[in-house]
Amino acid sequence: MNMLEVKQLTKDFGGLRAIDSLDLTIGKQEILGLIGPNGAGKSTAFNCIAGVYAPTMGDVYFEGSRINGQKPWVLCKKGIARTFQIVKPFATKTVLYNVMVGSFANTNKRSEAKEKAMQILEFLQFADKKDIRAGNLTIGDRKRLEIARALATEPKLLLLDEVMAGLRPSEVDELVDMVRRLRQSGITIFVIEHIMRAIMALSDRIVVIHFGRKIAEGSPEKVASDENVIKAYLGGEYVVS
Amino acid sequence: MIFVLEDTINGILMGSIYGLTALGLTIIFGVLKVINFAHGSMLMVGMYVAYWAVALTGLHPYMALFVVVPVMFFFGYYVQDLIIKPIFKAEKEVREPITVIIVTTGIWYILDNLTLLLFGPDYRILQDNPLRGKMLEAGQMLISVPKLWGFCAAVVTAASVYVFFQKTRMGRAIRATSLDREAASLMGINQYKVYNIAFGIGTASAGIAAITLVPFFNVYPTVGVLFDIKGFIIVVLGGLGSIWGAIVGGIIIGLIESVAPQFMTATWTEAIVYGLFLLVLFVKPSGLFGVKYDW
Amino acid sequence: MTPKKINNCALVLIVLIAFGVPLVVRSATYLHILILLYMYAYLTTSWNLVGGFAGVLPLGHAAFVGIGAYTSTILSLQYGVSPWLGMIIGGLLAAIVGVIIGKPTFKMRGAYFALATIAFGEGIRVLIENIDYLGPLNFNGPRGLQIPPLDTGLSRFMFEAKEPYYYIILVMLVAVLALTYFISRSKLGFYLNAGGEEPEAAMALGVNVARAKLIAMAMSCFLTALAGTFWAQLTLYIHPKSIISLDLSFEIAFIALIGGRGSIAGPVLGALLLRPVSDFSRIYFGDTVPGLHLIIFGVVLIVVMIYQPRGLQEPLTRAYNRLIHRFFGPQGSGRAA
Repeated sequence: MNMLEVKQLTKDFGGLRAIDSLDLTIGKQEILGLIGPNGAGKSTAFNCIAGVYAPTMGDVYFEGSRINGQKPWVLCKKGIARTFQIVKPFATKTVLYNVMVGSFANTNKRSEAKEKAMQILEFLQFADKKDIRAGNLTIGDRKRLEIARALATEPKLLLLDEVMAGLRPSEVDELVDMVRRLRQSGITIFVIEHIMRAIMALSDRIVVIHFGRKIAEGSPEKVASDENVIKAYLGGEYVVS
Repeated sequence: MIFVLEDTINGILMGSIYGLTALGLTIIFGVLKVINFAHGSMLMVGMYVAYWAVALTGLHPYMALFVVVPVMFFFGYYVQDLIIKPIFKAEKEVREPITVIIVTTGIWYILDNLTLLLFGPDYRILQDNPLRGKMLEAGQMLISVPKLWGFCAAVVTAASVYVFFQKTRMGRAIRATSLDREAASLMGINQYKVYNIAFGIGTASAGIAAITLVPFFNVYPTVGVLFDIKGFIIVVLGGLGSIWGAIVGGIIIGLIESVAPQFMTATWTEAIVYGLFLLVLFVKPSGLFGVKYDW
Repeated sequence: MTPKKINNCALVLIVLIAFGVPLVVRSATYLHILILLYMYAYLTTSWNLVGGFAGVLPLGHAAFVGIGAYTSTILSLQYGVSPWLGMIIGGLLAAIVGVIIGKPTFKMRGAYFALATIAFGEGIRVLIENIDYLGPLNFNGPRGLQIPPLDTGLSRFMFEAKEPYYYIILVMLVAVLALTYFISRSKLGFYLNAGGEEPEAAMALGVNVARAKLIAMAMSCFLTALAGTFWAQLTLYIHPKSIISLDLSFEIAFIALIGGRGSIAGPVLGALLLRPVSDFSRIYFGDTVPGLHLIIFGVVLIVVMIYQPRGLQEPLTRAYNRLIHRFFGPQGSGRAA
């Protein structure tokens, strides 16, 4: 059974079609990359899967059951976690507090939530910053906090929305490494990313969308050499480095 | 029958003045996403300025426009610049500036009680102004002339503000900021300057309302409270942030207040207004002209 | 001594002193001022569950004070129900009303909730001013209700001396502070804070934000109504203008913001600071400068919000920690309540 199946997903905003009949599947423990130019509908697709928007048409199946229109907090408990492209930390609270909000998803006990949160922070090598107010973190650490909170909910499927944008190259490498370790621990990962180097290195398969439609799908090498992709998305002059 | 018609017309006229008093609230909310609880007090300040300008010079009450509007614009501009802006900056991490809302309540308290300190609790009215008690006879009906002018002022002010926001460069910059502060500031729009100006415009519109009220309404330190609560109800009724919504909301309230007493004790009309308000919140919280969901 | 132990000792000491005050302060006037101070601290702490933790701004809590006061008073005057039982019934009624108000408005921007609660508070006042009789229930309109001081005693919640009132409100305050402490450390507390700060992020982390807020609202309204009964039994006279006034709703919010919204000590600090200002300026300047305390409130509020947006509790906690640090060495410095 596939972890996630999206069938003919369509989302309209007023007269504007943000996503047009999108099909995709993610197998268990797979890393799927989603790329496309700005405004292609990547974040909208995430929002439809994570329950922020109800799809206009089409269906979303998670572990075989239909999840259309279910609320984000319900989906979170089922095992879908996501990060936000524009980070949304609980700014006046500490890092630990932020992560504990996530780990309360599976427990009612403060001590258990704290223990789980500390495990995640150790795993991300973030534990030394646990008492810093989230509002005072650097952008790199805020991105890491987004991931830490999402992981604390113990997801089966993790949606990462441009977690590498704005990071230094060394930080990007660290993060790529970390996502790989996450997959080894059994989590399925669906990632939107603009940094080509990272997404090419990371993904098992890549789906490319443009104006809400899928224009290519396949291995990183296949997608990178696809003419449609180069024309539509990379603007003809862009070279994959 | 003729009385009902007369009440209806007077209700529409007075209601449009209510709408005018609430116009600034909706402008300020539209841009800053903050309810200015001091708006009624600003109106009160405008009424005192208008009152003294006329009482001391003996000019026609409506000539006070040339004093009141600039004074009120800069008053609002600097209240935002000196008091509200620093709080916005201190709270920039927080998405909903609740502290700003409550600080405007502080401004309300200060303004009302300072006025009480300066001018005492006396009710003041412009004794011999040419508009006081002036009525227009239309058939058997009597229509208040200053209220008729108030109606015109409300429509003209709302229309000018609307045109300003839609057509001018500054107006567009203000609207852009209200839609997305961050994007606007990336485009080189100074967010806080825009807030100052929006606050100034909102306060100046309260000044215009003050001028239309002064010829027939008592001026006293807590007069603003009367219009404050009414203003909140009007803007929610019309839709927070909607300019025409404020005028229409005002007219609805005015109609209820003038027509309902025909059928019940006057004090019950107030209860009906609150009831209607809560009903709108339950059924259509975005009001008649508001945006449905604007997170 | 560990920091936790020091804090606990300090806390126990403060509570003991508070309980010992009536042994020293014999003046009824001063006791009354203290009783009101505790009552405002209690009201603000109850308000804080929604206004502080859930990140919305309720500005009509006087209405719930009124619901509590009128429920217990009418039940005891007309049906002989003990005010203690009436207190609980009033609380439950307030909780239900609070949920009804919160349900449609929590989905909207915070401003709507603020406006809805204001209009609701004023609406309740106007309604009661207009009602003499509702069925068999006598509200007595704008004249209000007087509680004849016939039989005093604990079971009737009525006393000739001030001391019993002092102890009752002190116990209520300590209880509500303890409750707040436990909530702030519980899942509900985390969810309220998260939903108040960043609702979208909170929802993605499994938080049903609207539900958390409704639970907080129900608790807050319940607790607030209890103070209404206390107030009625203390003054033995309630009327709509005094007990459901906009000024009361605002004063609660002012105290919370100046003391520190969303903190446990904040409401108490705020009440300690503002209530004396209010009482003494009314006693000494009430005739010459009416409204002086409101000007002071306004100015203090603005200054505090500009320089300490999280309230005075923040710098005071820091100062307290520094003090502990100096007296008990580095291992003594910890976080205060």
